[in-house]
Amino acid sequence: MKAAEDDRWHTLGSEGRHPFSWNRLLWALIFPRRRQRIKFTLPGLMLIALAFGVGTAAYNAANNILFIALSLLLASIVLSGVLSAINFRGVSWRLQLSPPMRVGLPATVTVGVRNAKRVVPTYGLWFGLVARTVDRGPAAKAESTLTARGIDVRAALEQGDKAEARDRLYLRSRLDPKAETNLEWVFRPSQRGKIQVKLEEIGSLFPFGFLSKSLAANLMMEAVVWPAPVEYRRYAVTTRRRAVGGERMTRAGHGSDLFALRRYERGDSHGLIHWKASARTGQLLVRQLAAESLEQFALWVRTDPEVWVRKEQFELMISFAATLAEDFFRADKLTSVAIDGHAPLQIRRLRDLETFLDHLAILEPVNASSRMGESAMAHRSNVIGFAPDGPRGVAAWVQGQRIAAT
Amino acid sequence: MKNEFRPSGPQLTAEELQQVKWLLGGVLTLISIVTVLYLDIPAWTLMVVTTIATVAVILRPSWPGRIPRMVHRLAFPFIVAMFAGDLWLNGELLPAMVRLDILLLLYRVISYRQKRDDLQLIVLGLFLVVLAGVLSVSLMFAVHILVFTAGALALLLVLTLAETSASSTPIPPGETPKWARHVGWRTLLRRVRQVTNWRVVALGTVLFAGLVALSALLFVMIPRFQLENGLFLERFVSKKTRSGFSDTIRFGEVTEILQDNSVALSVDVSDRAQIPASPYWRMLVLDEYRDGTFRLSNPLRRSAFSTERRGQTVRGRGRSPRRAESTQWTFYLEAGISRYLPLLGGFEELRFREPQNFRTARGLELVTLRDDPATMIAYRVQGMTSADTIPDGEFGAQLASRRKNPLAAGALMLGVDLPAADLTALQDINAEITNGGEVSAAEFGRRATEWLGSHHAYSLRPNFPPGTADPMIRWLKSREGGHCELFAGSLVMLARVAGFPARVITGYHGGSWNGFSNNFTLRNSDAHAWAEVFDVQTQSWVRVDATPGGANADASANTPAMVQQRRNDRSWKARIESLRIFWYRQIVNFDQNNQLDAIATVKQASEASGKRLREALDRVGALFRGWSSAPWNGRRVAGAASLAGIAVVIVVMGFWMRHAWKNKRWLRQGKGAGDRVRIEAGRWLTRLQSIEVAQAEASRGDVISALQRIRYGRREAWGDVPEIFLRARRLWRKRHAVRHVPKESGPRKTEKSG
Repeated sequence: MKAAEDDRWHTLGSEGRHPFSWNRLLWALIFPRRRQRIKFTLPGLMLIALAFGVGTAAYNAANNILFIALSLLLASIVLSGVLSAINFRGVSWRLQLSPPMRVGLPATVTVGVRNAKRVVPTYGLWFGLVARTVDRGPAAKAESTLTARGIDVRAALEQGDKAEARDRLYLRSRLDPKAETNLEWVFRPSQRGKIQVKLEEIGSLFPFGFLSKSLAANLMMEAVVWPAPVEYRRYAVTTRRRAVGGERMTRAGHGSDLFALRRYERGDSHGLIHWKASARTGQLLVRQLAAESLEQFALWVRTDPEVWVRKEQFELMISFAATLAEDFFRADKLTSVAIDGHAPLQIRRLRDLETFLDHLAILEPVNASSRMGESAMAHRSNVIGFAPDGPRGVAAWVQGQRIAAT
Repeated sequence: MKNEFRPSGPQLTAEELQQVKWLLGGVLTLISIVTVLYLDIPAWTLMVVTTIATVAVILRPSWPGRIPRMVHRLAFPFIVAMFAGDLWLNGELLPAMVRLDILLLLYRVISYRQKRDDLQLIVLGLFLVVLAGVLSVSLMFAVHILVFTAGALALLLVLTLAETSASSTPIPPGETPKWARHVGWRTLLRRVRQVTNWRVVALGTVLFAGLVALSALLFVMIPRFQLENGLFLERFVSKKTRSGFSDTIRFGEVTEILQDNSVALSVDVSDRAQIPASPYWRMLVLDEYRDGTFRLSNPLRRSAFSTERRGQTVRGRGRSPRRAESTQWTFYLEAGISRYLPLLGGFEELRFREPQNFRTARGLELVTLRDDPATMIAYRVQGMTSADTIPDGEFGAQLASRRKNPLAAGALMLGVDLPAADLTALQDINAEITNGGEVSAAEFGRRATEWLGSHHAYSLRPNFPPGTADPMIRWLKSREGGHCELFAGSLVMLARVAGFPARVITGYHGGSWNGFSNNFTLRNSDAHAWAEVFDVQTQSWVRVDATPGGANADASANTPAMVQQRRNDRSWKARIESLRIFWYRQIVNFDQNNQLDAIATVKQASEASGKRLREALDRVGALFRGWSSAPWNGRRVAGAASLAGIAVVIVVMGFWMRHAWKNKRWLRQGKGAGDRVRIEAGRWLTRLQSIEVAQAEASRGDVISALQRIRYGRREAWGDVPEIFLRARRLWRKRHAVRHVPKESGPRKTEKSG
């Protein structure tokens, strides 16, 4: 969930500004940094072609009228450049992320724009944004596309495309002098893990559309994308009452006091059905006793590669674990969580859950040999574990009973 | 710290931008169409239709949506077929292209345009404007191209803004976009005025002026070299002279030209004194009279004119003075005047600005181009003579050797192709003129002029008495008034009957000196015809201007001073025409030589100024060295100290005055001074209320109260205004001091520490 906190406003050249040194100057002369890129657009190319044609005719005919037309065309290009430079002058921007981000759900990136000029408004800017998932695995081995198989190359390219969302945000209205505005970019992350949201360039066609001028912004922020929520089936199970002591009661209630009514779920005892309420509402309702609300669980995620052979299944398990953790937290049934051999993390408040989800977001399979001993979870009761369920599914188990499955 | 940034103000919606775009496209079309008027290309119907259609769709932008889809489908095949048919029927490429351009503009203006369509509209319009400029070389081109450029840039700007403000989707034919359904131009203009920042408009105007200045600079700096005139648009269009100076002239044609008061010829002359008191600008020699028409006879055309040549330089047979001493005459002959070039007389060298196809007639002292120039043509003449007589020994020799041969009479300008009765009438008049005696050619010319002047007055509307005789004979025998052609023609006929070779000359007589642009201007109303009679004794052609009121009529009125005074034109018309001369001199006629001259001038100026600066510095250095190397004494030390003190005082005074000007200028008494003080107090109040100062600063409240008194109270209650502002300034500075205190030692600023 974390997003790098950076509320600073950036202007052209504010990034990477270093103290002067002759060495840096020399290298900058040899390898100039790409700061501005100017491309001719279709009207710009037309203008150049027109100027070329008029210029040729002017020389051929030695006609000063044509030279005047040529001069005006060339001066228009210069004026276009001057106005474009004025347009960019005094503009500052910043990038803000709005966590949480989840795979498959809309995420919002806000670009704030300010115009610090005193007189001249700024028009028609665009902001080139890219959100790229940081590769979690080891760096891929370099391979020539000449020797690689086409299907592999295509798959690699597809994966690369999938890991990247790219878009342009347009400042569609005028930005007055001493005015600021916010532009929002909504995208859907496709993979869990760390994501880099980068403001790559700021460009504009202003004023006449001859030139597409873009400045390298290189403003980057990082965030964590949580796993996607998944749908799953729950199974009614009889679980051991939690041992008293050592853990805090989070909800009031005694023994078999009626706590609430809830909808009937498969596996519920028929004796718990509240017939009157069911008759009134037209749906089966069961009594939820205070004792039931005290059923607390711990969640233990193990990432043995021997168990999770299929990568898709591993990803599904992560998403399933994240979803269960959130659901159990909302139902106040989650006491602690643990990943592999790490020490359990007590879940007392939302922040703890978010920390767990952050960990899940970047979790990768770890060999049993590399794990640091067994977790304390191994000796607890009511611990939810995960195991493959068939070739694609994942099931959650508590003490040998399946409590939920995807 | 308070956020000084705010949301943007009101602005045009995407629909309103589309409406502005539509309006600008229509206006650009109208500007382009107007330029066709200068082209002299028959496209009136298309122009009228396009203009009406443009105005209609500007006023009712929803109308293009009612055009059936079939029209859009058939539009381009129709336009292509029209172009092909036009080219096939008329055989002229450029007029066909102009008509094609107008058709395309018409189609673009009556259909909803996407970005590429608007770009096409701009290119089509630019083609028309530039073409009109190239073919007319008119000063109006400068105005048109500037207006068109401003319009095109505005349209491109709106296109860019409209493109970024909304995603554009093509409008299917037959449908009306939402923005076109309810357009209220007044409302739109009000909205535009509402959202327009006038400071930005002023900046835009300055930038456009910069664009014009930059293009002028580029125009001067673009290197020039000649590619031998390989492509010239004039060749793709045929033009006819608008004036009557062709090689055939009927009675009354010169009179028609006289009705036209527009400029025909402008002459730059390096020495104004060389302009004759009564200049006659010869263009054409007419030697044959038949059926009431003077014309250049075929024998003379064949014998006098050389074969056609192509080049830039024409060698004359005039004197060859040293180049530095000879006067330079630069002629700017307007389009449509004639292919015969006006000249005062013989010349040494004539040089065109660009290579031309021409023929020369050295004996006649004439130069003619192959085609009637479709644009202004410029040529420079050196060593031009302007005497009243033109020596022609060659003609004299021909006359002596072939006088008895009647067949040669035509070529010798002695033939009179009139019935016997008319000849008798002419002989009777001659007898009256010469009293039966023998006179020289010059004397005959003088007496004939007197006779004509005593029998006929000058009139632009001559009456020819009825009869079967030749019209000129009928007029001669009458007492009716006549114009220059009748006088010149009559004199030629009388001279020939008397045995003197004679010819009619057409051209211009007189002119005026433009006091603003310092050039000689001839208008079409200066068109004239006169006669030249060959004098065997002097072996030269003598000019005889028989028209009453001609310049020779009263020689006493032609002293150089009087002539110069009479000619000096400083009217508003001359002022406007001086712009045209500037256009010709500096723009149209600008060439490599001018460029080199400009570079040389800049170089000389920079060298001269650099030299002057070096000399000045050397002088100062020498003075200082002399002064410093002299022995020092108390007086010199005191002098040096005084100088240093004066310098310091000047610097301090400068700073103080700057400070005072910046901060106390509103304290000056006068109208509005009180308002300025109140405004300044308001500024300080805003500043002081926006900052936080140390709690110990108790005087802040007092200062604010005093400022509020100035801002809102009566003038009498203000107190010491400069002192109050000074205290406010001190507080403001303390606010800065608080902010910049290092963290370790000073108090933290409240908002930071919180």
